[in-house]
Amino acid sequence: MRRLLALLVLLVLPLAGAHAQGDPPGVKGLFLLTDYPSQTVRAGEVTTIRVKVNNAGLVPEPLALSLQGVPTGWKADILGGGQPVAAVMAGVNQDVTVQIRVEVPKDAKPGSQNLVLNAKGQTLQQASLPLTLTVGTETPAKLSLKSRLPSLRGTPRSAFEYTLTVGNDSGKDLTVALSAQGPANFQNTFTEGFGSNEISSIPIEAGQTKDIKLKVTPPRDVKAGDYPVLVKVAAEGATAEMRVTLQVSGQGKLALSTKDGRLSGEAEIGKASTYTLILNNDGTAPVEEVEMSGTVPANWKVEFNPKTIPSIAPNDKKEVQVAVTPADKAIAGDYVASFRANGRGEQASADFRITVTTSTLWGIVGVGVIAVALLVLLGAVMRFGRR
Amino acid sequence: MPRSREGSPFTGLGPVFLKEFADHLSSARMMVLMLFVIVFGAFPVATSLQTLRTVVDPNSFIFLRIFTLESEQVGISFTAALNFIIPLMAIGLGFDAVNSEFNRRTLSRVLSQPIYRDALLLGKFLGGLATLAVALVALWLIVLGAGLLLLGVPPRGVEVARGLSFLVVAIAYGGVWLAIAMLFSVIFRSTATSALCALGVWLFFFILWPLLAGALLVGLAPSEIRSMDDYAAVQSMGLGLMRLSPGTLFSEAVLGLLSPETRTLGPMLPSQMRGAIMGAPLPFDQSVLLIWPQVTGLIAGMIVVFAAAYVIFQREEVRA
Repeated sequence: MRRLLALLVLLVLPLAGAHAQGDPPGVKGLFLLTDYPSQTVRAGEVTTIRVKVNNAGLVPEPLALSLQGVPTGWKADILGGGQPVAAVMAGVNQDVTVQIRVEVPKDAKPGSQNLVLNAKGQTLQQASLPLTLTVGTETPAKLSLKSRLPSLRGTPRSAFEYTLTVGNDSGKDLTVALSAQGPANFQNTFTEGFGSNEISSIPIEAGQTKDIKLKVTPPRDVKAGDYPVLVKVAAEGATAEMRVTLQVSGQGKLALSTKDGRLSGEAEIGKASTYTLILNNDGTAPVEEVEMSGTVPANWKVEFNPKTIPSIAPNDKKEVQVAVTPADKAIAGDYVASFRANGRGEQASADFRITVTTSTLWGIVGVGVIAVALLVLLGAVMRFGRR
Repeated sequence: MPRSREGSPFTGLGPVFLKEFADHLSSARMMVLMLFVIVFGAFPVATSLQTLRTVVDPNSFIFLRIFTLESEQVGISFTAALNFIIPLMAIGLGFDAVNSEFNRRTLSRVLSQPIYRDALLLGKFLGGLATLAVALVALWLIVLGAGLLLLGVPPRGVEVARGLSFLVVAIAYGGVWLAIAMLFSVIFRSTATSALCALGVWLFFFILWPLLAGALLVGLAPSEIRSMDDYAAVQSMGLGLMRLSPGTLFSEAVLGLLSPETRTLGPMLPSQMRGAIMGAPLPFDQSVLLIWPQVTGLIAGMIVVFAAAYVIFQREEVRA
């Protein structure tokens, strides 16, 4: 008897296994499912509710859909694949999704409305889903703004880049306008996380966050100090703001030029020619230990007086004499010499065009040769001249 | 024993000069020579002007390019053409300066006038040089005028100055060959012989001398060139040999004047090129300084050859 029972169990088990594959065992029937059976709608707006028609282990058949309890003035449609539908048919252990599009009139009174979605087959299959729609004020748009590094330090020439995280904490997608307000002449640009395009607004889906980058470029001549920049994001009446800070440290800036700006000169072969260079500090901090150097053609000599300058205050200038001696074997013509000034972390250079001239000594020698030839002629005239 | 002479050696220079000048200008020979020069000069100028009109030349010295441009059709520039036409012209004017007078037995008649031999020779030389100068100036003006008409831009001051200096160098170059031709006309009684000799010297310098200088250089140069300096020394020695030819002096002087970007006429060491701005034109005075040895060489050569002709002429028997 026991052996017979065991055999029966063996026979039945695969059947039971097959039955248990699609569904949790024991759950069988027609279901209407939605994530939020009770939600808030706003007067004058359209709300879409997603409903899944789930057939768990039943024979498929057409199911007529109907909505009950739609208040007067409201408009409710059942949509499937974007089209109004009146019936669905779900395969065994399969879902069909439909949307209920509810248009709430503008003058709808606050309060709860109960709707029931019915699905009814030709035989006994049927299911219903009660939905509660509360007309009321929706949660207002809400934004958040965060920065990991709200305070950056740099020189007037650095780019201050802040990574900001904008969050849309409201229940719907928003287009967020971005703005930043800094001191005068500070340039602010927003870019998307890793993009290079400058943006002024960014769409953010409900509940999502997005990284944006704010780049602040201070003017070159900005004094050392702390500068706040107020970043504001706004969408549909919601705003969020935060303050980021630029800590600008002073920096010297060297510029090399001449008194009248002329960067050319003449030099005679083998002779030192002196030019006066002007070294400016256009920066905001003094430049220390400025050393002068120069690159000249081969075998030329270049000397600076003074060779080093201990310090140049901001907006101050110093004169430097540079003596250039072209090589003895240099050929007349134009040459490039570059002069450089190197301070601590700062440098400036200027290319100087030097026109090398040859000495007129050989010209005089040439005249001498002609004079000698004339003397020979004169001598001949003296010696051989006759009547 | 030469006696101390009375009066200036230049007495009678004026009439001799004017007569010679007038004779040259009205002679059929001059016409033929001018025709020859214009035909030879016109071809390179016409083709270079055509090229300059069609090509956008970045060179700012566009007028000087008329003289130096070597067009593909002709293969010779105006200055290169002048380099061998000027000697031919000068020889044509000078090869019978003295000996034709002698052959026509007019020399003693002239000298019986209050005219010194000094003045006769110098007057003949200056007359020839003036004729040459007139021809060259005319040619120069024709080229400049054609350039103005066809290019439609006026030359700049620097270009005019360089062009005028080129004219002076060309006249000095003609003077050398005129002096050589007159030297032979003094030495040889036969005009044919003197013409042949002068043309022989011309051919020697134009055809034989470059070959001979090359051969001499091979003999003189060190067997092994070890450094850049050795190479430069050999190069400058070769140039020195070539510069014994007046044609080389002329072409170098023209190069320095009409191609302002020329920095040196000799070899240029790499160390000298470092830092140099290539293609930058030299100032006019620097260009003149660069070619000054060539110019003085031409002028001094002219004087020395003339002095030689003078000495030989003074010692000659002129009575026939």
